[in-house]
Amino acid sequence: MANRHAVIEKNVGLLIVLILVAVSFGGLAEIVPLFWQKSTTEPMSTLRPYDALEMAGRDIYIREGCHVCHTQMVRPLRAETERFGPYSVAGEDVWEHPFLWGSKRTGPDLARVGLRPITEQWHREHLRDPRAVVPESNMPAYPWLQNTPVDWKHMERTLSVFKDIFGVPYSEQDVAEQMEKVNGEWADASEEDALVAYLLSLGQARKEVRE
Amino acid sequence: MSDFWSGYIIFIVVLNLVGCAVLLFANSRLSAEEARQDTTGHKFDGIEERNQPLPRWWLFLFIGTLVFAAGYLVLYPGLGRFGGLLNWTSVTQWEQEVALMEKSSEPLFKEFAKVPVDELAHYPETRDVGGRLFAQNCAICHGSDARGARGYPNLTDGDWLYGGSPDAIVQTITSGRRGTMTPMAAAIGNTDEAVRDMAMYVQTLSRPDLKDKPEYRDAAERAEPRFQVCAACHGADATGNQMIGAPNLTDGIWLYGARLEDIESTIREGRQGHMPAHEGVLTPERIHVLAAYVYSLSMETEE
Repeated sequence: MANRHAVIEKNVGLLIVLILVAVSFGGLAEIVPLFWQKSTTEPMSTLRPYDALEMAGRDIYIREGCHVCHTQMVRPLRAETERFGPYSVAGEDVWEHPFLWGSKRTGPDLARVGLRPITEQWHREHLRDPRAVVPESNMPAYPWLQNTPVDWKHMERTLSVFKDIFGVPYSEQDVAEQMEKVNGEWADASEEDALVAYLLSLGQARKEVRE
Repeated sequence: MSDFWSGYIIFIVVLNLVGCAVLLFANSRLSAEEARQDTTGHKFDGIEERNQPLPRWWLFLFIGTLVFAAGYLVLYPGLGRFGGLLNWTSVTQWEQEVALMEKSSEPLFKEFAKVPVDELAHYPETRDVGGRLFAQNCAICHGSDARGARGYPNLTDGDWLYGGSPDAIVQTITSGRRGTMTPMAAAIGNTDEAVRDMAMYVQTLSRPDLKDKPEYRDAAERAEPRFQVCAACHGADATGNQMIGAPNLTDGIWLYGARLEDIESTIREGRQGHMPAHEGVLTPERIHVLAAYVYSLSMETEE
């Protein structure tokens, strides 16, 4: 092997190609097979697609950066399952685009917040002024959400994208029904209504699992 | 995992390990000719690049990581479907942790369950165990000091909407409570004046000194006959009814604020209080300990 690496070191193109090959191994072994595994591509039987109000709430959750401080990923550790609820499994997130697992836990995990015995009223008061209900909280207040109507402009498009591109099983009729509600009972819904609806929906797929 | 994907992963993992080993050993020693030359022939500004074998310590570390990887793959999952000789998974580890905790805590909770709530409230363990259950399940509304917030009752003041007996507390935690005060403006005259009069009268119930002021005296005189609609729930003497969670209006404790405006809006718009049920969230044994803890909170106030 007399100095054969000189061939690589003297050909930058070859060097780049070989580096790409070397760094791709991890992804090839750990990520690529997941696209074909049942456990990651099959939704849980109890999973229900978001309705339009929850979907709007999810968009607000993303817009306000809730996922920057709150994770939605309960790890299989006793301390976490004791505090939050059943640990997360891949089948819950098949229809999440993008997923909101987060990576920083400044606030509590929210993957099971809809299962906690917390009233809707509490969520509203807490969003308007977190310290009114939890004095030691350092969460920012979101008082404008209650006075800001949901912007429904793109909802029909959003639902179609989830249906056609992400394969979420909305039927044409589901979309029509949701849009009817958007133009009817939810037409004047506030962003707070939407966000609270979304929060209360979190973890519902795991309701039965909780003893 | 199908055979194909299992084989695919095993192939990549083994290829990587073998590839690293081959690369390492191919470059770890110099050929006789290279050793003689002792230089790569590179020369810049009079500095010559020498050709040396890999440092021993570094080489051994690298071999160490290869051995570690091989050992890890034998013991732990990593090679496709092969789960490793230890049969470790994060889920089984979690199950073991939970089982271990159940084993040590369940007998404790069983022992606690035999002790009546009012006696358990005196146990030092109640402060530890019950306090943690409270922090985890109750503090979010009632506060970590259990002193509540606007709309969420203070549990330390000895004032109870639904009764402070051990049974009542267990019942409240287990099944939850729904307190409803309907809007009363229409029933008491339906004018802003009537609502204000009633609010002022209600204020005098816990602060008789206010009656010295003429405006309060007059308002009370006007509102008092109409209080009979309120008395249906709050009682003729306004001391409330714990059967339906109607608060005592004479004790100076205000769940939604003591200001005139607060009382007015309570009368005008009503109030909806909701304590969620914890049945199914907490086991009956845990609710028992929690009830003892909550019971002990107001016990301290009385002392």
